[in-house]
Amino acid sequence: MASLRHSKFASLHDVELCSHAALGERAAFGELVRRHGSAVRGVLRRMGAPPAEADDVAQDAFLTAFERIAEFRGEGTFAAWVKKIAARLYLRRLARERKLGVLTAEAAEDEPPPRADADATIDLDGALKTLGATERLCVTMCFGAGLSHTEAAEALNLPLGTVKSHVKRGLDKLRARLAPESGAVVEGRAGHG
Amino acid sequence: MAEVDFERRLERLFAESPELPDAGPFADRVERRLDAGWTARRWLIGAAGVVGGVVGASQLMVSNLFQRVESAGDSARLLSSSLNHISTGADWWTLSGGGATVWVAAALAVVMMGFVLTRVIGEI
Repeated sequence: MASLRHSKFASLHDVELCSHAALGERAAFGELVRRHGSAVRGVLRRMGAPPAEADDVAQDAFLTAFERIAEFRGEGTFAAWVKKIAARLYLRRLARERKLGVLTAEAAEDEPPPRADADATIDLDGALKTLGATERLCVTMCFGAGLSHTEAAEALNLPLGTVKSHVKRGLDKLRARLAPESGAVVEGRAGHG
Repeated sequence: MAEVDFERRLERLFAESPELPDAGPFADRVERRLDAGWTARRWLIGAAGVVGGVVGASQLMVSNLFQRVESAGDSARLLSSSLNHISTGADWWTLSGGGATVWVAAALAVVMMGFVLTRVIGEI
């Protein structure tokens, strides 16, 4: 029965599924979770959340999205919308557990970024691990969850200039790793640490 | 590589999130939580309805509504007959059915309450 319901929705576009979900069709929303669950969990893991915690937050994010589905106007993609919700929920959780202050107070790592091996295939997740915790948070929030610098600064409770500095430093390290002048092959990989 | 190009490339890399092996079970867990929340909400609304009904019924019993309605009917009849004595020419037919008027008003109030309750449940 459940699989029948799922197959009924499998061919629909995200926007149509959102319309069904707005009418209370939980199976339609389930199809959206099936399509975008991995992406949302992936962003949270890239923000530094351990896998189990990332899954918890992703579940909460989808439940919040279902409650607020009427607010989704289809201006961006559904996945981007849920990623933003998830990123904010994760930061709130960090703040509640008093981990956010520790992360953002952490001194910036001044050591030079590791050089990429030109012959190696380099993945984004590996490159993100070379960033400091705050740099990683800021870069992932801005490039993975789609938050603006201002939104990220508000969510992190940091000055806008500080967030911009973290993003800049993070990007410099990622560029050195992912796109060195020697031209290493760049690709996203299946691994989510 | 230009900065903008690299940033676009980075956005693409972030967007190319691979499917996790337990994507199906994860979606099932979310659906189960949605169903559980929905069921809990329905129970809550039902329980609120029962409590509201019990409170309403007990209030009716306590306030002796039925006796009051009867006495109001009697009063209306008394008033009607008194007014008939005073002015037989006037059209007092509306007052002569005082008991019925009270019942109609009560029925309208019940319909109104039902309407409000339906809207509230709809909003929830």
